[in-house]
Amino acid sequence: MRDEHFRIRATGALGRFQLSHLRKIGFVLVFSLVAAACGGGDDGGGGTDQAAQPAVNQVLTVGAGEDQFVREGTSANLGVQPVNANIAETLTYLTPNYEVRPMLAERWEFRAPNTWRFFLRPNVRFHDGSPLNAQAVKTTLFDRVAQQRGGGTIKAGPNSAVVVNDLTIDFTPTAPNYRVPEQVVHPSNVVYAPGTDTGNKPVGTGPFKFVEYAPKERLVVERNSDYWGEEAKLSRITYRFFPDANARRLALEAGDVDVVLGVSGPDVKGLKSRGFEVMNSPVGSYQAIYANILGGPPHDLLKEVAVRDAINLAIDRRQLVEGVLEGQATADQTMIPPQALGRYRNKITGTPFDQNRARSVLDAAGWRPGADGIREKNGRKLTLQLISGFGGAEVHKPVPTYLQSELRKVGIGIDIVERPDSASYQSLIDSGSGDLFLERGSQNDANVGFLPTLLFYTGGSGASAQYTKLFAPGPRFDEILTPAVTEPDADKTQSIVADAMHQLIDVDKVVIPLAGLFQMYGMKKTVQGFTPHPSTISLRWDTVSVGTGR
Amino acid sequence: MRAYVARRLLLLIPTLIGMSILTFGVSNLTPGDPAFAFASRLASRPATPDEVAEARKDLGLEGGLVPRYFRWAGRALQGDLGISFSTRLPVRPELVERARFTLQLAVPAALLSLLIAIPVGIVSAVRRNRLTDQVLRVVTLAGASVPSFWLALLLIVVLAVKWGLVPSAGRGGAESYLLPVLTLAMAPAAVLARFTRSAVLETLSSDYVVTARAKGAREAVVVGRHALRNALVPLVTAMGTSLGALIGGAAVVETVFVWPGIGRLLVEAILQRDYPVIAGIVLYSGAVFAVISLVVDLLYAVIDPRIRLVAER
Repeated sequence: MRDEHFRIRATGALGRFQLSHLRKIGFVLVFSLVAAACGGGDDGGGGTDQAAQPAVNQVLTVGAGEDQFVREGTSANLGVQPVNANIAETLTYLTPNYEVRPMLAERWEFRAPNTWRFFLRPNVRFHDGSPLNAQAVKTTLFDRVAQQRGGGTIKAGPNSAVVVNDLTIDFTPTAPNYRVPEQVVHPSNVVYAPGTDTGNKPVGTGPFKFVEYAPKERLVVERNSDYWGEEAKLSRITYRFFPDANARRLALEAGDVDVVLGVSGPDVKGLKSRGFEVMNSPVGSYQAIYANILGGPPHDLLKEVAVRDAINLAIDRRQLVEGVLEGQATADQTMIPPQALGRYRNKITGTPFDQNRARSVLDAAGWRPGADGIREKNGRKLTLQLISGFGGAEVHKPVPTYLQSELRKVGIGIDIVERPDSASYQSLIDSGSGDLFLERGSQNDANVGFLPTLLFYTGGSGASAQYTKLFAPGPRFDEILTPAVTEPDADKTQSIVADAMHQLIDVDKVVIPLAGLFQMYGMKKTVQGFTPHPSTISLRWDTVSVGTGR
Repeated sequence: MRAYVARRLLLLIPTLIGMSILTFGVSNLTPGDPAFAFASRLASRPATPDEVAEARKDLGLEGGLVPRYFRWAGRALQGDLGISFSTRLPVRPELVERARFTLQLAVPAALLSLLIAIPVGIVSAVRRNRLTDQVLRVVTLAGASVPSFWLALLLIVVLAVKWGLVPSAGRGGAESYLLPVLTLAMAPAAVLARFTRSAVLETLSSDYVVTARAKGAREAVVVGRHALRNALVPLVTAMGTSLGALIGGAAVVETVFVWPGIGRLLVEAILQRDYPVIAGIVLYSGAVFAVISLVVDLLYAVIDPRIRLVAER
């Protein structure tokens, strides 16, 4: 009884203590939370201004996006795509400026009528110690790709690859394909050690060896000390997967990762102000609108070139890049990355911003402003449906709203239809339901003719029927582009494709380019030797190291 | 009691069949071609017609919806939920693995929410309309209203970025559980606290509580033995719903904290049009809710001896 009495008194005293103090503690905690959340601008541990000495532990953690590795089948690609951990390598390599350089193939040559001969680099070994030779390339690259329908982009067939000698292999596509060295830079064409389980334990020739993989969490690789090239500086890299871009950025700020892939535009200033480095690659992607020029009612308004011309003229791309995209883009109007077109990039002139001229063009075409400011002709309003967009509507925001306000100034109404992902967007392409289709696309290999052929060309196979039935500009474009299909010389191909893009963008105005986009990578200032690549799947990590700071 | 349990378990079968038809039908009728999504992801660009056709064949999407459903259902009956469109791995082991990760968060979150909710609800009820009650009501209202993604990011900014106390995301040591568990527990704790308050308030005005007080019982005994026990029946129902939602997977929390649980798997599956995974998760969630509902019903009888469970004839 005494004990119980004592306990009750003690509890009461404790209760009073807790109540009075908990209120204070609670207040302080809430205040701290809000204050800390609202604060910012201080150095959040972004490293130091100088990174003079290499760190003893050359260990790096990379914050990547969603884990999208395929684990089974001929498409299995663990550690290769979309996060390229440099485990396995390709015959040729895509530089950040879209040039093709030797990788596992030291050189290559075209042998008429339709064969590519690759001369392999000698003294290269896979991580399991077996040598790289022509037989391995035949089995794990060309024969593997041949199992895919159509033989992949390189058009490989079961008899395409022929071993000439230990270090020489001939590849003859099933159909004329003069772009093979430019296509095999893509990581879907890596070479594995024979017998490799590509979905669980990839074995390649790369500067890093597979260590462990925890699905949706991390991939770990370590330095390959027997690498044929210069040995990697890092001893170990852990790739951690952050599907949410905010969480990825915060992981960098918290010091949990050293590098993040895919920084979004609005995060750049904040990261820089907190002492982190943000590196931009050359332009490798684009944002553009495709005009449905072949649609039936009610999506037939863009058959009129004048309307397409007016849209082009009405968009202030400088304002779009500086104001809307916060300077994290360029006002390029080439669609294909300018450097991929080499010295021919200027053949595509683009359209200047001139809203007065846009109004004149529409006036001349008989489109008169209606009572609500939207133009009309023959009782029909000039209101277009803008579908946003390939890659998911989220990545395009707030561009559709900006376009809507700009086009309204010249009397063109825009209804925005947002699609959450590429698959549901594609269903509208399939049904032709829409007038303007907003897309983001990337150039991931050196074949400059690939995208125009895939999306707009009707002169041969390989094109997307869904796209061409809405966007194919017609015989003149096909006529210009056709020689690119059978031209082995890369320089001439660039020239031909530039001519075709000029026709597509400047003359036919089927593609309305908005901006050139680059990849942005955020990192601590202690990270050294990182080369930003416009195609994330071609990033190299062997030159990267970690410094200790001051 | 056994007959009741057996009957409830048997009822699971038509429930799951109905859910599977609904899920299979709805997910297949959603706009977007999974073959295109798969092939485009592999190519990092819009897929060519050949690539889409190849993917359609690989993914088993050839043929009509009805034959495909029966093929899938036939295999599901044998425990084979098919192959994921995204990873090309079997769905069932993936589900089991992911459910384990979800449980690692759901169980501590459920316990934490109870530890917070019951005392807060009782204090709030006992101190009805006083300052303590007013403050707790505001706090619980805020807790129930705050979106979990916002709370998650706020906690990361403060506890991981500013103070460096815990990792910002990912599975690791015990400290890595703190932020996701706190975030997950917040909403159910707030809701259950409000539930507890109203249930206790209701019983506090009951005749038997008045009688207990009149007989001189101490307030702690009145509240703990008489009021709370009688308030438990509605509370257990609310707990069951919260627990079901937690075990079913918390998509936002698992995504933000890079926790490879069921919720995150569902989001990925929806975005990739991964029909076998979507169907598998819906079946799993349905089974979880059905079992929890059964457990809740059984608990009624334990909590309140006046309740008897009988199988209807």
